[in-house]
Amino acid sequence: MMNYPQVLFKNRKPDRIATLEEYRQSGGYEGLGDALSKASHKDVQQVLLDAVLLGRGGAAFPAGRKLMTVADDAPHPRYIVCNADEMEPGTFKDRVLIHADPHMLIEGMIIAGYGAQAEKGIIFIRPEYESAARILEREIKIAKEAGYLGKNILGNGYSLDIVVHRSAGRYICGEVTAQLNALMGKRANPQQPPPYPTEKGLWERPTVLQNVETLACMPHILRNGPEWFKNLALTETGAGTKIFCASGKINSPGCYELPMGIRLSEIIEVHAGGMVEGSEYKACLPGGASTRFLPREFYDIEMDFDTLRNVGHRLGTGAIMVFDQKTCLVAATLNLVEFFARESCGWCTPCREGLPYIRDLLRRLEEGEGEEEYIPMLQQMSKHLWSSYCAFAPGAVSPVESLITYFEDEVREHISQKKCPFK
Amino acid sequence: MPKIIIDNHEIEVPEGTKVIEAAEQLGIMIPRFCYHPALGSVGACRVCAVKFLEGPFKGVQMSCMIDVKDGMIVSTTDEEAVEFRQYVIEWLMLNHPHDCPVCDEGGHCLLQDMTISGGHGMRRYLGLKRTYRDQYLGPLVQHEMNRCIHCYRCSRFYQEFAGYFDLGVMQSANRTYFGRFKDGILESPFTGNLSDICPTGVYTDRPSRFFGRRWDYQRSPSLCINCSLGCHTTASARYREVVRQEARYSEAVNGYFICDRGRHGFHYARNETRPRRALIEGREVSTEEAIRAAREKLAELVKSAGPDSIACLGSGRSGLETQAMLKQLCQEKGWQGPSYFMDKSLAGKVKTAVSRLDPELAVSLHQLEGSDAIIVVGADPINEAPMLALAMRQAQRHGGKIAVVDPRPIFLPFDFTHLPVRPDEINLYLSALIKGAVDPQLIAEAGKGAAEFYQVSPSLEIVADSLQEKASILAQELRAGQKVVIVCGTQIVRETTPALAADHAQLLRAAKKQVGLFYLLPQANSFGASLLTGDEVSFSEILEGIEDGRVKSLILAENDPFYNFHDRQRLDLAIEKLDLLVVLDYFESAAVKKAQVFLPTSTLYEGGGIFINQEGRLQAAPKAYLGGISIAQIGGGNHPPRVYGRDIPGGEVRAAHQFLTQISNGDQIEDDDHTQRSLLRWIADNITPLPEIPPFDELAENGMRISSSDNTPPYFAVKWQEEKDKGNGLEDSLEIILTDWTFGTEELSSFSPPLRKLERSPCASMHTKDAARLGLDHGDKVKIKLDEGDVEVDVCAEENMASGAIVLPRHRLLEWQKIKSFPKFVSYEDVKKVST
Amino acid sequence: MKCNVDLTYAMIPKELKELLARQIAGIEHPRELVVDVMFAVQDHYGYLSDEAVEEVAELLDMSPLEVEQLATFYTFIYREPVGKYVIHVCDSVICWMEGHESLLDHLSGKLGINLGETTSDGMFSLLPVCCIGYCDRAPAILINKKVYGPLTIEKLNDILERLRAEA
Ligand SMILES: Cc1cc2nc3c(=O)[nH]c(=O)nc-3n(C[C@H](O)[C@H](O)[C@H](O)COP(=O)(O)O)c2cc1C
Ligand code: SF4
Ligand code: FES
Repeated sequence: MMNYPQVLFKNRKPDRIATLEEYRQSGGYEGLGDALSKASHKDVQQVLLDAVLLGRGGAAFPAGRKLMTVADDAPHPRYIVCNADEMEPGTFKDRVLIHADPHMLIEGMIIAGYGAQAEKGIIFIRPEYESAARILEREIKIAKEAGYLGKNILGNGYSLDIVVHRSAGRYICGEVTAQLNALMGKRANPQQPPPYPTEKGLWERPTVLQNVETLACMPHILRNGPEWFKNLALTETGAGTKIFCASGKINSPGCYELPMGIRLSEIIEVHAGGMVEGSEYKACLPGGASTRFLPREFYDIEMDFDTLRNVGHRLGTGAIMVFDQKTCLVAATLNLVEFFARESCGWCTPCREGLPYIRDLLRRLEEGEGEEEYIPMLQQMSKHLWSSYCAFAPGAVSPVESLITYFEDEVREHISQKKCPFK
Repeated sequence: MPKIIIDNHEIEVPEGTKVIEAAEQLGIMIPRFCYHPALGSVGACRVCAVKFLEGPFKGVQMSCMIDVKDGMIVSTTDEEAVEFRQYVIEWLMLNHPHDCPVCDEGGHCLLQDMTISGGHGMRRYLGLKRTYRDQYLGPLVQHEMNRCIHCYRCSRFYQEFAGYFDLGVMQSANRTYFGRFKDGILESPFTGNLSDICPTGVYTDRPSRFFGRRWDYQRSPSLCINCSLGCHTTASARYREVVRQEARYSEAVNGYFICDRGRHGFHYARNETRPRRALIEGREVSTEEAIRAAREKLAELVKSAGPDSIACLGSGRSGLETQAMLKQLCQEKGWQGPSYFMDKSLAGKVKTAVSRLDPELAVSLHQLEGSDAIIVVGADPINEAPMLALAMRQAQRHGGKIAVVDPRPIFLPFDFTHLPVRPDEINLYLSALIKGAVDPQLIAEAGKGAAEFYQVSPSLEIVADSLQEKASILAQELRAGQKVVIVCGTQIVRETTPALAADHAQLLRAAKKQVGLFYLLPQANSFGASLLTGDEVSFSEILEGIEDGRVKSLILAENDPFYNFHDRQRLDLAIEKLDLLVVLDYFESAAVKKAQVFLPTSTLYEGGGIFINQEGRLQAAPKAYLGGISIAQIGGGNHPPRVYGRDIPGGEVRAAHQFLTQISNGDQIEDDDHTQRSLLRWIADNITPLPEIPPFDELAENGMRISSSDNTPPYFAVKWQEEKDKGNGLEDSLEIILTDWTFGTEELSSFSPPLRKLERSPCASMHTKDAARLGLDHGDKVKIKLDEGDVEVDVCAEENMASGAIVLPRHRLLEWQKIKSFPKFVSYEDVKKVST
Repeated sequence: MKCNVDLTYAMIPKELKELLARQIAGIEHPRELVVDVMFAVQDHYGYLSDEAVEEVAELLDMSPLEVEQLATFYTFIYREPVGKYVIHVCDSVICWMEGHESLLDHLSGKLGINLGETTSDGMFSLLPVCCIGYCDRAPAILINKKVYGPLTIEKLNDILERLRAEA
């Protein structure tokens, strides 16, 4: 097995969390010290941009660019929010990261906070991750005692406080603007820009929101430089490592830190222990429930944002869910749509009403009551769900669309046999 | 200004105009559910999708969410957009019940229209429909949640626009539910608007349920006369009765909304108790007989005691025609009056307000929404004129600062600063605040009048210690404000306040601010009454005349002094003494019962009428229907009886001004339009100049503002020295302040059965400190000794009001008319707990 | 103007109320705490009763409806009574593929309740939940927010017995 450099998982241990001391020994908080003493917040933005650090929460937006959109003369206080909601089905990397090395996230937040000149940090975390929330609260205190948080950090004049905010659980809370509404004690409906959160976010103040993994990359970039980070990837277009969470019909489900651009086949066969006995690879969702099924023909694809985009797919969160030849993908899609229909925030019509409609069609297909015309209906309806208010619904129909694109025959068998061929 | 091409038509619109709005200006009505001009765009329903062909946006996008930009080319008929909209409608119909045949919204349902025009006809969805449980929301609004299409208009109106938080959105996904935390009466006094803005039948007008469909109704533009703002309404009549009233758009006045008092205040016109037949000594007679009797008796009196033995009382709830006719008669016949006000002081205040309403200062409700600071003196918006509170909320939402100087426990649905001071201190506080807010340099430059006024007027030092901080913050906020409006009431304030408000508006203007002046008047047409008021006798003087036998006959034209006059004992004795009481009115009042001759007059809905609102806006309402007793009442609930004849049953009612002509001059009456015009001309020729009044239907949307200021304003006329001396020696007494409540005090709406269900029972509000001194707790019963006996009422102990005052509602269920004169003070000994 | 006598009766313990009030007073934007306050009050009652909604509203100077708008939005706020142990069975795609259905059937049969119900002894409630972020331990469930997985029928039986014994 190839041994790739472990950056984010450097201090990961099977049974416990890395302490502040261990984190420090591995170079932790050096990047921060350098940044605060030698670099301006503009430099930090530039370094992150040069490193091509793309958001790991699913949308792949360049982190450096996001920081740059905070105007110099924008009002204070400003906020840095860490998105630890992680409710995308199949995704559990943020949880593992926090349990491995919480200070990496804390340092990342301070760096991003510095880059935005923010004075308030909030970690938004889902209720299922109560143990992670407690770890963070404890380690935040420790970091504060060590002078990394609070007033005048490391004597360099910059101040930041971080609090942990527990959510009460809804997938849509992971979407940036919905999350800000949730934080303000409003219903977590998304809010279409303009204004962008970096202009008017929490309490009308500039707010930068990043995923846990994105933030965790930052200390390393600042310490080792953008070139180093880019070179971690195996592909030209990629940068850095990526934590892939593998699950489904594989022998070793779990989180693996691997270079960006690593082949899917290698992830499955080498790192995730291969397909389980008697299973053959049929398809995977490469980046969570809101990405498209990657069929066999892409089995060797290089997993980075650009490569997947170029073939009409998305890397999303890098949560690889593997389906085998014995799994009915109509049933799997029905399950996924069930999830989305339940989790829709209920704000806009296509998502609120269209998803239950799609669910109904899929259920009929799965139960052998399908009709030929359901296939074009599913296609058209999915297409129109892209005109919903936020990115939730386009994500929700991604499995449906790719089901028909790649597995239309399987769908048709349900109709012609008047039953699920897998039952 | 950017230009856009929509469906091959080009239009140029102001920056910030949404594509959906630009299209509407071109006459292209893009479908919409969630967008509403007053509530703005939120992009929730997705039915306004159009295709952007050129410009910064491409593809299918929501036209309500995108500002017009140069270079945009948009198609509303593009196949993809049309198909998408079709889907949106199909989605919305998945769960919508097919209850159109029994739904009260049927026929004016936006969803129905869109479903049909959007081309969705065949149901494809085979799944079950979602169902919800409905809630009881009170007597005005019916809830039927299954019909909901989740446009969020209701919660956005209710919470964001109106500022109440007991109705909103619960649950999520396709279980999203709009309603209250628990069943119960909605707290907002603006709930009827829910029925107007709901694009389908989730919220419908409850009192008029199952009465008819929109197309069954005779719908006509009308006016609300339940307060002085003059909101525009649409009256719906069917089977000879008005059954529903809705908000009618008026840019200048009420925008898209009205309050519940206005919406449901019309029942006096349809109640079964409404007297429809003429009476002589309580006996039903033909109208002609009653007219003849009145005319003959009046003639006899003129002969025996002279024309000045006859006196007339009109009111501020009559149309201008009746008010003017009354005036004309008095002038021509030498009768006394008319008086339109119950006391001289009120008449004086209204008169001052009307004459000081400089056209440069007068602002409409709409303009007030755009102000950045509002100072309210002696007015309680939510209770006196609810739509004023809604307009003020819009100013506040846009960052405006609001201050209220008033002794009453003021509630407003937004953040504001309240300076609870006694009525005699209102002037001082107004002055202090404004003085603190203007730049002395600018005042000095503005000329001698302003400078001298500024010099002598009291400054922030007079403010009580406990209010110092609030007052100085307020003064700063006012100083920062560029568009400042002074709102001034006329009911509880001292006589000098209206003039002082105008003076201070002038002072602000001298300090280079954009200034607005906004008076509240006691009744819908108090403005008209005031225009017509010269140096006639006051009602009090009429009573004196009756008392010493000079006045022998009283004509009451649409005024019930038994409801409105404060000194009941005196009134009772005087009325007893009369030789002749002629009453013209359209509801069953105490005065009607005492009349020797009673003539049933038409309401606004049957007679139409001209009203001038508090801002000087002349508005005209046409007839809504021909009048007569409703078919339901004639049939006793059964099928209408088949009585053949040409006349409308109960159609003997006439406009009060017609009766007035008839009892004075004979039987000839002219048609309405002619009378209206000739009376307007008469006013213009004899009383006050009026501009050219165009055909009334051209006034439909915004009316027409007429200037009333007398043009030689004695600016800065108030003598401060006198002012400061007042208000002394009151320390150990409580001032009785009579107030309006949203429901239960205003005369016309107090006849409304649905509104009666919302009335609170009367209570006496006093400051907790005063209550404590009197040994009273919130909820105790007290006996208050007034001049003519006691009243018993519950105590409301409040923190947010002036101490040294007792606030009593002018409630139909409270005998407040035991007061000889105002201001009225009682001692602490006069207020006693009643043990129960 | 409020005219009705104010009926404020404290139902959560005074100390808890004061603690929450202090936290609320100490923060610039109290509404950031609404979820925390709902959780705290829910922990006290076991679920967020109507009275609890009203108490949360009072603490945060919100209307009960405003609290309800949030309480009913979230998965982990219970507006109806639940058992001592709330079992959330993950039904998202990986757990589904790994046999969540048979787990659920087993649980249902063993406890004698359907999804959304509580055992008559008030011990267990059974609720569905979407992906809990433990797909590497599928099929997984939560019991009072603690994760168990990967589960087999036997393991599940053990857990239930242990919980019953502890109770
Ligand atoms: C429906 C929806 C759910 C999302 N959930 C999450 C989430 O749970 N965690 C996350 O980090 N990002 C989530 N995102 C992406 C965020 O909106 C946002 O892009 C991201 O958190 C930004 O951080 P990044 O740039 O560091 O990735 C979600 C987006 C959508 C549309
Ligand atoms: S697509 Fe619409 S309903 Fe769905 S989550 Fe986004 S805003 Fe809410
Ligand atoms: S009107 Fe534009 S989305 Fe509803």
